[in-house]
Amino acid sequence: MLSIYAFDELWNLANTVRYGLMALQHRGLQNYVVCSTGVDVECVEGSDIDVAKSASGHVAIASIHNYENEKTFTIQRSNEYSVVIVAERPWRRIDDFALDLVNMLKTSRNRVEAFTNALSNLQRDSEDVVPSLMVLTKDKEVFVWRSHNGFSPIALGSYGFDMAIAASESVAIDILGGDLKKFLKPGEGIYISRHMLKTFLVNQADAYNGLCLFEFLYLSRHDAIINNVSVYEFRKALGYDLGEYLDKEVDVVVGVPETALPYAIGFSSRVGKPFEVAFVATGGRRRSMLASNPFEKIVAIHLKMNPIRSSLEGKKVAIVDDSMVTGSTIKTVSQILRFRVGVREIHLFIASPPLIRSCPYNVMKLDMQNLLAANLSKELAKSYLEVDSLHWLSIEDVDRVARMFGLRFCGRCLGVNVIGGEEK
Amino acid sequence: MKVLIIGSGGREHAIAKLVRRSSLNPKIFVVMDYRNPGLEREAVETGGKWFVASTTSVGKVLEIANELSPDLIVIGPEEPQFAGVSDALREKGFTVFGASMRCAEIEKSKVFARTVMWKYNIDGRLYFKAFRDVEEARKFIEFAGDVVIKPARQAGGKGVKVLKDTQAYLSKDRSEVKRSYVDKLFTEMSSYRDIDYKIIVEQRVEGVEYTAMVITDGDYVLSLPLIQDHPHAFEYDIGPETGGMGSIQGPGWVLPFITFDEYRKTIEIVSKVLKALYMETKEPYIGAFAGQMMLTGVWGPTVIEFYSRFGDPEISNLVPIVESDFLEILDRAAEKRLAGVKLEINEDVVTIVKAIAPAGYPDDKKLASNHTIYVDENRIRELSCEVLYASVELGSNNMMYTKGSRAFEIVCSGKDYEEAYRKSENAVQFVESLDGWPLFYRRDIGSRELLEDRIRVAKRVREVYMARASNGLLGKVLIWLPGEGVIENPLIGFVR
Repeated sequence: MLSIYAFDELWNLANTVRYGLMALQHRGLQNYVVCSTGVDVECVEGSDIDVAKSASGHVAIASIHNYENEKTFTIQRSNEYSVVIVAERPWRRIDDFALDLVNMLKTSRNRVEAFTNALSNLQRDSEDVVPSLMVLTKDKEVFVWRSHNGFSPIALGSYGFDMAIAASESVAIDILGGDLKKFLKPGEGIYISRHMLKTFLVNQADAYNGLCLFEFLYLSRHDAIINNVSVYEFRKALGYDLGEYLDKEVDVVVGVPETALPYAIGFSSRVGKPFEVAFVATGGRRRSMLASNPFEKIVAIHLKMNPIRSSLEGKKVAIVDDSMVTGSTIKTVSQILRFRVGVREIHLFIASPPLIRSCPYNVMKLDMQNLLAANLSKELAKSYLEVDSLHWLSIEDVDRVARMFGLRFCGRCLGVNVIGGEEK
Repeated sequence: MKVLIIGSGGREHAIAKLVRRSSLNPKIFVVMDYRNPGLEREAVETGGKWFVASTTSVGKVLEIANELSPDLIVIGPEEPQFAGVSDALREKGFTVFGASMRCAEIEKSKVFARTVMWKYNIDGRLYFKAFRDVEEARKFIEFAGDVVIKPARQAGGKGVKVLKDTQAYLSKDRSEVKRSYVDKLFTEMSSYRDIDYKIIVEQRVEGVEYTAMVITDGDYVLSLPLIQDHPHAFEYDIGPETGGMGSIQGPGWVLPFITFDEYRKTIEIVSKVLKALYMETKEPYIGAFAGQMMLTGVWGPTVIEFYSRFGDPEISNLVPIVESDFLEILDRAAEKRLAGVKLEINEDVVTIVKAIAPAGYPDDKKLASNHTIYVDENRIRELSCEVLYASVELGSNNMMYTKGSRAFEIVCSGKDYEEAYRKSENAVQFVESLDGWPLFYRRDIGSRELLEDRIRVAKRVREVYMARASNGLLGKVLIWLPGEGVIENPLIGFVR
């Protein structure tokens, strides 16, 4: 998600929004929605960001998504007043909330109070986890709110005297030439209008579960900063700890592209063996782990796995990966390494604990029956993957690193509630 | 001693408070553009008087001065200086603290200020290009890169557009904004008849800003402690530029992110500018002078602009810490007897000033005006903080009305930033809007979070400028245009 508020009406944000979305698009999500205000709030949807030209105004909110049958944004109108809401992930109650909000805003002078009341009015049911939201009103006001559950971060930045920028990943602020200012706390929001910028907190009983661990493990770019922690440094630290598990002689350390490179660099520095680049990807960046169609997934894997033979042939290889869901990427890699390259041994190191539960919050779409670690024993997994050894980081390892960086994570998919301590 | 203060806002209220403590038994008289209740009270309580008149009207001010025969006249803001009020008063034999019209040119004209720095080879100068003609400016801006566009004349701390252009992929969009802004600024500046250049385009620099104020009699330069202003309207340095939403000072003479070496270098720059100004004008600079500085990777201490008066709200930070007789210092400066004077300050405390403004400020003065507002001064005093009245007017019904700018400045001090911050956050709660119109202030000013950020940024730029200094590159920006050679012109952009 992305919100840009240019205080000077001279700005046309079309390109700015487009490049901001490009910075977020690496997550494998391709479809976009961009909303701005002319006479009324207007949204444009599509799948090719390069032709997005819709934010012709000086205020816009936008998001990228891949959800065809589930709703991540909505427009609601009531008596010539209107709001548009984008959510960080599908939310089945988005329309109800939007209707409530539009009714509150059209009669209320205290804008922040209207928004917080609308949030408080939500009758909670056990299944519903309110996602983080961005709202644009007809009066060119923007609300940015980080959910109490706080699974994903929201960063606030600025561009000179001209713009406030809020984004679900700090890199969007970087790419727009902005300066990162702060991260919203769970439950914290920002109201931005022509003459006001206010932060506020919505008090609710929901417990903060912690950030989604996969923000750090996989979803964010290496250059992202989350809660003032460098994603790259965190990944290197996990890789370094993973080096502890090496109990065989290896010749080289490689990261399975591209997310795993920092882990492999950390691992390599711990074990004192050279880090090598092993694969080169073809075409744009594809996130194979997130592809829901199995055929699409295998295409994505194959396209990013053209090996550099000279760095691997005849060698004992330590492969480092960030996480393993179905194991199909690693299976493909081991096949390529064995049959096409001719490596002597493959030792697999996964920089996260085994994934054994599906995500109850719908942040990561993981189906229990597809989770390798939930269904196969370690020995069986090793045989299936055709690797010589298989190692995972333990929950204690991740907990230690998380505490070192002052982070707290939701660990439901790993079978625990929380990993790490209190946040700094 | 009869002291006449010219000016209407928070700065003048701070001056009045500092002057009032003098052992010279001052009676304070004020000429102000509107009925500022704070200034009115300082006048009445010291046995002086107040007058509402245009502070830029030479005739009016002269008439009042003649009637009062003050021993010292202190001119607060820049506009009366630009209008020649100081000169007219001096001509009539009054003792005046305030820059002459020619000396005040250093604030009024940013082109003059930059030209002086280049002519006299003074460190901390930035590349610039100035325009009288809109067509010429339009043509230039087409190819301008990482620049700041400013009105060439002082326009109340507004109108600056900082257009960071370090992403080629967004360069065309930014170029579009630059073009539109140049047009807009030319239209706005056309009403100023007292200046030939209308806009100035400067090299953009990054770093931490701070203000270095001095008092001078044209010869001796008395430096004041460094203070940091916060020009952005909203928290976390977001939003449009204002005249300053608050400021921090201390402990002692420097700020936590500026070293003593940098302070010394800054004062050296300011002093050299004052000397150069004398060479240009042949007039002694009598009054307050300030460098709005930025610690940058290009130069270290770098000049953003100059003020020919005390900074507002920067002067307010001095209210709790000045231990010397401030009136005596102003008087000695005005009489050109400043040599050897020392300013004693309480070095054990830090001060935080927070400005409170009505929504609409700074861009829509009309929207921000005429709202009833109230301050519970007693509660603020209980916290040992002070209230300075700025852009508020006392109506005939004894209610206070906003005038469209920052309404109050709350000044708090403490043994450290934590204590001063806590007090200031409590104190701002006692300002309230009576008609429900929203007020705003910056909660982050003086906070540990912001302070740590400033320290981080300063550390980063310090490393850059020190490396540049050791490579003989201080102040230089080299650009190689294949086919054209190596030139020094950082104003050129990606779009060519």
